Amino acid sequence: MSIFSILSQKPWTSDQAKIDDKHSGKSSSMPLPRVALYVSMVVMGVLFTLFSVAYIGRMAYGDWRVLPEPPLLWFNSLVILMSSFAFHKATLSLKENNNRRTREYLFLAGALTLGFITGQLFVWRELVSFGYFVSTNPSYAFFYLLTALHILHLLGGLIAWLFVVYKSFIAENESSNFPLSVNLCAIYWHFLLMVWLILFTMLLLT
Amino acid sequence: MSESIIPESELEEVELYHPKSWWTEKVFSQDAKLIAIQYGLTAFAIGFVALVLSWFMRIQIAFPEMAIISEGTYYQFITMHGMIMVVYLLTALFLGAFGNYLIPLMVGARDMVFPYLNMVSYWTYLVAVLVLFVSFFTPGGPTGAGWTLYPPQAILGGTPGQETGIVLMLVSLCIFIVGFTMGGLNYVITVLQARTRGMTLMRMPLTVWGIFTATVLALFAFPALFVSAVMMLFDKLLMTSFFMPALVEFGENLSYGGGSPILFQHLFWFFGHPEVYIVALPAFGIVSDLISIHARKNIFGFRMMVWAIVGIGALSFIVWAHHMYVSGMNPYFGFFFATTTLIIAVPTALKVYNWILTLWKGNIHLTIPMLFCLGFIVTFLNGGLTGLFLGNVIVDVPLSDTYFVVAHFHMVMGIAPVLVILGAIYHWYPLITGKMLHDGMGRFHFWITFVGSYLIYFPMHYLGFIGVPRRYYEMGQTEALYTSSAADLNVFITIAALAVGFAQLVFIYNVFWSAKNGKVAEKNPWKSTSLEWQTPEQPPIHGNFGKELPVVYRWAYDYSVPGAEDDFIPQDVPNEKVKLAEGYTELGVEKT
Repeated sequence: MSIFSILSQKPWTSDQAKIDDKHSGKSSSMPLPRVALYVSMVVMGVLFTLFSVAYIGRMAYGDWRVLPEPPLLWFNSLVILMSSFAFHKATLSLKENNNRRTREYLFLAGALTLGFITGQLFVWRELVSFGYFVSTNPSYAFFYLLTALHILHLLGGLIAWLFVVYKSFIAENESSNFPLSVNLCAIYWHFLLMVWLILFTMLLLT
Repeated sequence: MSESIIPESELEEVELYHPKSWWTEKVFSQDAKLIAIQYGLTAFAIGFVALVLSWFMRIQIAFPEMAIISEGTYYQFITMHGMIMVVYLLTALFLGAFGNYLIPLMVGARDMVFPYLNMVSYWTYLVAVLVLFVSFFTPGGPTGAGWTLYPPQAILGGTPGQETGIVLMLVSLCIFIVGFTMGGLNYVITVLQARTRGMTLMRMPLTVWGIFTATVLALFAFPALFVSAVMMLFDKLLMTSFFMPALVEFGENLSYGGGSPILFQHLFWFFGHPEVYIVALPAFGIVSDLISIHARKNIFGFRMMVWAIVGIGALSFIVWAHHMYVSGMNPYFGFFFATTTLIIAVPTALKVYNWILTLWKGNIHLTIPMLFCLGFIVTFLNGGLTGLFLGNVIVDVPLSDTYFVVAHFHMVMGIAPVLVILGAIYHWYPLITGKMLHDGMGRFHFWITFVGSYLIYFPMHYLGFIGVPRRYYEMGQTEALYTSSAADLNVFITIAALAVGFAQLVFIYNVFWSAKNGKVAEKNPWKSTSLEWQTPEQPPIHGNFGKELPVVYRWAYDYSVPGAEDDFIPQDVPNEKVKLAEGYTELGVEKT
């Protein structure tokens, strides 16, 4: 039901009451963790959007210097893309009830994520070795800030990932919400992949 | 029995967390009701600190020759008073305290959907409050940058608290936002997904609508404060230049350069203006319910009230730059934001009309909650009307940075929401404690608070008109620019402020005294329809609704329904169980 039709209801009328009395009380049939993830992703989206707006706003000032693009960033992007793909494969394996394969893809996704984070830290080291410190120019400051924020979100995701891996070992997934957990992790990783690709594009365009 | 009645056994049960020790029951509780009380007590404690700061400021302004505090301390007190009142008191009270207590009870849920996260949310809030409070005791003291924390001055030498105070303020805000986000997720998802059978969104009381919409606003707006706080922390600690332009300080070139203080202002007010409505929308919702209950009449224009809440929420994101007319931004921007500001006055005025039309021909009971509601309506109207002055660029420019602005925002988002909070406490205190607050002390509290607030803030409009600037520690030689009445008025305002402060002490005494000695409240003492009063126990116990969740059959405003014997029909009573008044065959149908 659209928000407009909800807002146009007249709850005091007896005709509407007949419909309302049968309402389950839920606005969506989605399970709670899924709703929670979607709402959280909206908040995170707002956060990254505002940082991006600040980034674009600050770019307009004369002292802005173009950020060097270490080639390692391309490699890291490929790694995070692969980790997202591994999560996707994990959800597909789950549909085939292949739990062993699911677990393998989960491990692969986690390892690739750790690889991405390590890669980003190497990029930082490279920039520092060239003398591009956080206080050298706002473009570098934004780079460190945005990548750090993105890494923090991935680390948060890795905590959830640990729980999912743990669940995968419990007696052939007796836990009924295991498929949902894998699915939500995959969605979160796709989201963070999108965020990274947007940030990376923004960095390239400067 | 009509076919619309749903057998209660069909209701889905919710798995509830049960505490296993005293610590998990009384301290690290996951019960939203206790979390609400923890939020409330913490918010009031830190709010009281902010109130005491205001007394010092008022004494200083009235009697500058006493020099009760130094210039630096004055700025620090202004800053802490403002930030504590807006964020740590009002936001935490409306969303953390009222949200936690009322949402699950009013929508017919056993608890919030994520109780553990809810608990963590409170403790994170407490850490934020403590980090802020600690800044009073650090070298240099708390920040004196003004509650808006504008760079570059906020982090430069010469501004009080620039050593550690500003860092602690920014860190505290970040912690607060993280904590709030956890709570906010809970409030939004509980409203969307944990309502009981029959509780459609449009059957929810306006209190829940107000808190729900304000939470959505906060989830969108607080990230802007987070972004600005993190970037300013970088500027302060890592010497970046996000907001800091090239500067010479005490004859020395600083390493900053090129940053934009205006960018900070845009980010800050993108949060700051919705923040006004984060505080106002729950107040609107609560006051609507209280007026309806204490006037024994359904709310006038219910749908419009919901639309207005949603409309105000949406519009609040496109008015932020009316706080920046004198920042040097493009005048065309000013034109746009003045227009949107005037537009947002439309749904706001609509709400005021509807409150008045609800009162019209109502069976008005002048209970203490109702007195506070009536006080709110006129105060909000006053504050709103001066908002129309300040929303227009050409009027704002001369009035900016004068006491007119201080009067405006204290009326509209200081006194007005506080009156609602106080009214709401008098209204729900019997539910929370099972006792009634003492009536005599309550009436004394109301009249001193209400009349006193007008004695404080009405004269400030005049001070603003004659050009007395805000934020001044003392008038000094500038006093010659104003009539002597300015100084006399400042003395008068201070006396009124101290009297209002004293009345709050009476209120605090009443809250603690009545919890022990108050009259035992009868069940549902205000004869309200909403679900929080229909629990088997009063105060409600863990799980809220006994063995089975209630089923909802009507909206929350069935007061004085023709044909019903009582002048209210609770939401969980089906038509078939309503006692009919003599001479009626069914609700609204008289015997022929």
